[in-house]
Amino acid sequence: MIEITDLRKIYRMGNVEVRALDGVTLTIEKGEFLGIMGPSGSGKSTLLHMLGLLDLPTSGRIVIDDMDISRFTDYEKTMFRLYKLGYVFQDYALVPDLTVMENVSLPAMLRKDRTEEQTKKDSFSILQKIGLCDRRDHLPRELSGGQQQRVSLARAMVNKPDILFADEPCANLDTENSRVVLELFKEINESMHQTIVMVSHEDWHKEYFHRIVRMRDGRIVSDGINDAPKTTA
Amino acid sequence: MGQKELKVAFLLALRSLQRGSRSSTLLTILIIGMCFTNMIFLPSMFSGIGQSITQQLIDYEVSNVLVSPKSGEQYITDLDATLDLINGMPGVQRASPQYSKGATFKYRQRLLGVSVRAISPMDEKEVSPVYTKMVAGSYLGEGDTGEIIIGKPIAGDASVRQEDEFQPSLGGVRVGDSVTVEFGNGYTKDYRVKGIYLTGWSPVDNAAFVTRTDMELVEGTTLDKANYITVRAKPGYSEQFIKNELLAYGVGVNGNVQTMTDLLSKSVGKVLQSFAIINAVSLVVSVIITTVVLFIVITIKTLNSRKQIGVLKAIGVDKEVIMHNYGFQVIILGILGIILGIIITLALAAYMSVHPIVTPEWSAYLYLTPMDLVINSVILFCAAAVAGYVPAYQVSREEIQNAMRA
Repeated sequence: MIEITDLRKIYRMGNVEVRALDGVTLTIEKGEFLGIMGPSGSGKSTLLHMLGLLDLPTSGRIVIDDMDISRFTDYEKTMFRLYKLGYVFQDYALVPDLTVMENVSLPAMLRKDRTEEQTKKDSFSILQKIGLCDRRDHLPRELSGGQQQRVSLARAMVNKPDILFADEPCANLDTENSRVVLELFKEINESMHQTIVMVSHEDWHKEYFHRIVRMRDGRIVSDGINDAPKTTA
Repeated sequence: MGQKELKVAFLLALRSLQRGSRSSTLLTILIIGMCFTNMIFLPSMFSGIGQSITQQLIDYEVSNVLVSPKSGEQYITDLDATLDLINGMPGVQRASPQYSKGATFKYRQRLLGVSVRAISPMDEKEVSPVYTKMVAGSYLGEGDTGEIIIGKPIAGDASVRQEDEFQPSLGGVRVGDSVTVEFGNGYTKDYRVKGIYLTGWSPVDNAAFVTRTDMELVEGTTLDKANYITVRAKPGYSEQFIKNELLAYGVGVNGNVQTMTDLLSKSVGKVLQSFAIINAVSLVVSVIITTVVLFIVITIKTLNSRKQIGVLKAIGVDKEVIMHNYGFQVIILGILGIILGIIITLALAAYMSVHPIVTPEWSAYLYLTPMDLVINSVILFCAAAVAGYVPAYQVSREEIQNAMRA
């Protein structure tokens, strides 16, 4: 479970103060597929970065699984990201010099509780799941945008994280590829009871979310359950 | 930092070099190779010059051990007995006495002051390679009289006008020509030029040689004295051993015994010391240049990868892994650059051994020892590691968001 209390993020540029997050309080339950939506500059990505330990809040408290992450050292944050969190970025963010298989394996290779065999097996299995097994020896530049994003999702999932964060994962994809990626998220959420927090500004994405938090000017303006989320066929 | 982390860092480094910009990788290796060559070239050339001077000193001046008159005396006396003693000692190949006398050479209208050295050609051949440096005619034979061999600079060149000469000469003496020699004691004699030599060692090239038999005619008496005796050691015998033997056999009573190393420290030792200082300064400058160049190269590399570094940190890759990734890249590039540098240096050394840089005083070639290559490799490797790790350390500590926005 994620508990956020009065989270604030203020950027200061000279005399100008920008309140990217202005007192956000939110609770995310395990297994939820949460969509954070809102217009550009509403603070949704900033919130995701705070939750994903990619940035520090100016004030406020984030507790994940009863752990106050503000008390973490730099190394503890890194290990927490490695073992507990998964990320899918808007621009895929794959390592260009690594093959698909190597990109997917990378986080698992660093885990102390995984053998090399296990890492290979898990990576292969997740690549099978996203349907890119035949492309495992290709470099990212040899794949389409949709395929790259699926690899990014596989990399995020290889360590079986507690929470999966996705920052506008379909922003660079056409509708058809967006649907393929969103279906994968949906499937992962349903089959693995995976907590997913996804930022999106595309209104039609909401059909995939269980719960939708809408933001504007750094504040939550609505927080509601999606009564009729799309289910996997 | 565990084995897994190091393995991942190495994998990232290897893949970056294998699949990254090939031209950038090759250029970096070339830069490191050239830095290595730059570090080792000048010191090796100075070492080569030093070796060249030392070898010329051995070949044309002092041989391995020099016996000179005792302090306050002009000559080594009782020469025959002394030579018998020295030549009979273990480890001595041959001892060759030299007796010098100032003279004025006259050829056509030209006059030239020259030092005439009296030698025993058979002995001298075993001690000095002058006989192999004949450019015209032949070397002196034992018992030759009325014949002289002269250095090429003394003989001169008939095609060069006197006022254009770099140094005074006899203006084009050829083998078979007659040269009038007036010695310091007033004795004057016409000598037939038997040979002309060129060693590249100025003091010898500006001298002339006659036999001791001939010099006895000049002196009008048996020549049982010498200005000095050069002693050549047999292969495998050290100079110090010969010196100790000479002293033990009592040669020190008649003369002053010094090894080539003793003399080197007194004479050209200062020159070689100066070379060593220049080498040290050159090395420091080269290391600084190398470090700065590599620092710039790796900084550019890390700055171009800031976004990727941010992503790696975001997915849970520790900053130490990221730092070692660049560290390994520098180590691999450094090793390849050093190998290239060694190949370039060895190729240059091989070329210069055949085509040395020839000056009027010496021939410069690259004198390299395996230790030189090892030391310079280690220095460059350390410089590369420092130059690589500093920017890698800096960039690995950057905030994730700042790096990802790059």
